[in-house]
Amino acid sequence: MDSNAVSLTSVTKNFGPVRAVDGLTLAIPRGRTVALLGPNGAGKSTTIGMLLGLVPPDSGHVSLFGHDPERAVRLGEVGAMPQEGGLIPRVTVGELLSFVGGTYAAPLPLGQVLALAQIADLPDRRVDKLSGGQAQRVRFAMALIGDPELIVLDEPTAALDVEARREFWAGMRGLASKGKTILFSTHYLDEADEQADRVVVINRGRVVADGTSAEIKRVVALTTVSVTAGGEVAWLGRLPGVRRLEVRGDRVRLRSSDPDATVMALAEAGAVRNLEVTPADLEDAFVALTAKETV
Amino acid sequence: MSGLMGYIRLEMIRTVRDGGYVIFGIAMPVVMYLVFTNLGLAPGDRHYAAVFTMVSMAAYGALGGAFNNGTGIAEDRAAGWLRQLRLTPLTPAQVVTGKVVTGVAGVVPSIAAVLLTGALVNHVTLAPGQWLSIVGLLWAGTIPFSLLGLGNGYRLTGQTAAMANVATLLSLSIIGGLWVPTTGFPGWLRAISGWTPSNSYASLSWHIAFGEAPTLREVAILCGWLVAFGLYAVYGYRRAARTA
Repeated sequence: MDSNAVSLTSVTKNFGPVRAVDGLTLAIPRGRTVALLGPNGAGKSTTIGMLLGLVPPDSGHVSLFGHDPERAVRLGEVGAMPQEGGLIPRVTVGELLSFVGGTYAAPLPLGQVLALAQIADLPDRRVDKLSGGQAQRVRFAMALIGDPELIVLDEPTAALDVEARREFWAGMRGLASKGKTILFSTHYLDEADEQADRVVVINRGRVVADGTSAEIKRVVALTTVSVTAGGEVAWLGRLPGVRRLEVRGDRVRLRSSDPDATVMALAEAGAVRNLEVTPADLEDAFVALTAKETV
Repeated sequence: MSGLMGYIRLEMIRTVRDGGYVIFGIAMPVVMYLVFTNLGLAPGDRHYAAVFTMVSMAAYGALGGAFNNGTGIAEDRAAGWLRQLRLTPLTPAQVVTGKVVTGVAGVVPSIAAVLLTGALVNHVTLAPGQWLSIVGLLWAGTIPFSLLGLGNGYRLTGQTAAMANVATLLSLSIIGGLWVPTTGFPGWLRAISGWTPSNSYASLSWHIAFGEAPTLREVAILCGWLVAFGLYAVYGYRRAARTA
């Protein structure tokens, strides 16, 4: 049995002259929750389409649990929620979910899925009468009802409000704790940071960073050390660890790769005034990573 | 296998709840049949009109059901439903089988409603063999039209496909002589009508209803259109698969 739930090897996909995915390699072991993070047009949805067998790659190899994607889908190993669509009119939520469950060998009971997706009150509602957020939860329920090993979600929380997002992730953590492998794409940085135990940043169809969110921040982002300073400040830019210096009025912001050394040096120079140290967030890392690629 | 049965059940539920299907496929042909035969709008004596128009309207209803199925494909595609089905363990062959079974089953109520109205309301009496042949011919004969409807459904987007299918249904029904018999047509239109699939389709059953044998010409024309529409459906499907 293959220990990787997902394995993409040097996968490339062109749409006409546009290279959507460019030699992307990615392996996800079983039981992990992985975020695919990137700006719009980075190649997230194309990558997900290829790993679900919906989009044939131009070159490279895709396998899920050691099978090709179409076979893995047929074996019921995968449940997926595409970015949009998948709902049909004139059926009820219960009818739709029972049908999808019936295509799998060992589906979850309908009641359990309704509860997981927070739609316990909706089984008799016609699908065409749902609000945007309700429709999103029904689509999510369709991905879960087959009790698949791998759950793939393309921008799962896009249509949800803050409260619904919180409930959604609570449910996902429950699934992750049962050993399910979860891959989701997002452009919400906080979501990737909080929900995934690994973040894969892609831009222009390539993996530009891969690790825990803490690792990614450490590698590419810089801690901000700010102080109040007057007069000539250029010397601050030459302190240990400082990579970049920004002046905002009388505040000087030092971007540092070694904040401890920077603060010590500031103290020795007697320049500690209204000191503030802000750790890097994933947003900084994201901007740094994706900007680097476009230069 | 339970997956396929579940899919067929789901598609049946959707069809039955589809107002377009119930109106165009079942209610309208029955109403038109009753109106034509009881207001003296149909040709010949009362018995001739009841038999002739019964076949016309059953054929018209069956075509309505067949085209409606094709329109459904375009809606499914636009809604991302075909992609969702590809993400379930159902095989593509099961999906196509399910859609064909639903389409084929969907024309049965249309045919049955008009034939029952003929027998019960208009007192049409035919030999059991004639009833069976007419049901069989009207049923099997919808296959070319289903393929044409599917071709439109695969090739065109939701709204356009619906309009194209309704327009095709109406023109084939009128030119094919299902609404008004071709005997009243000008010569040139009657000549065109003789080559339409809809006229050949209904003619097979008109012959049976009046105790005649269907002609080889009708069978040949319908088979010709079957091939043409089959190629069109395959072309549409390939195009849809490339752009999906």
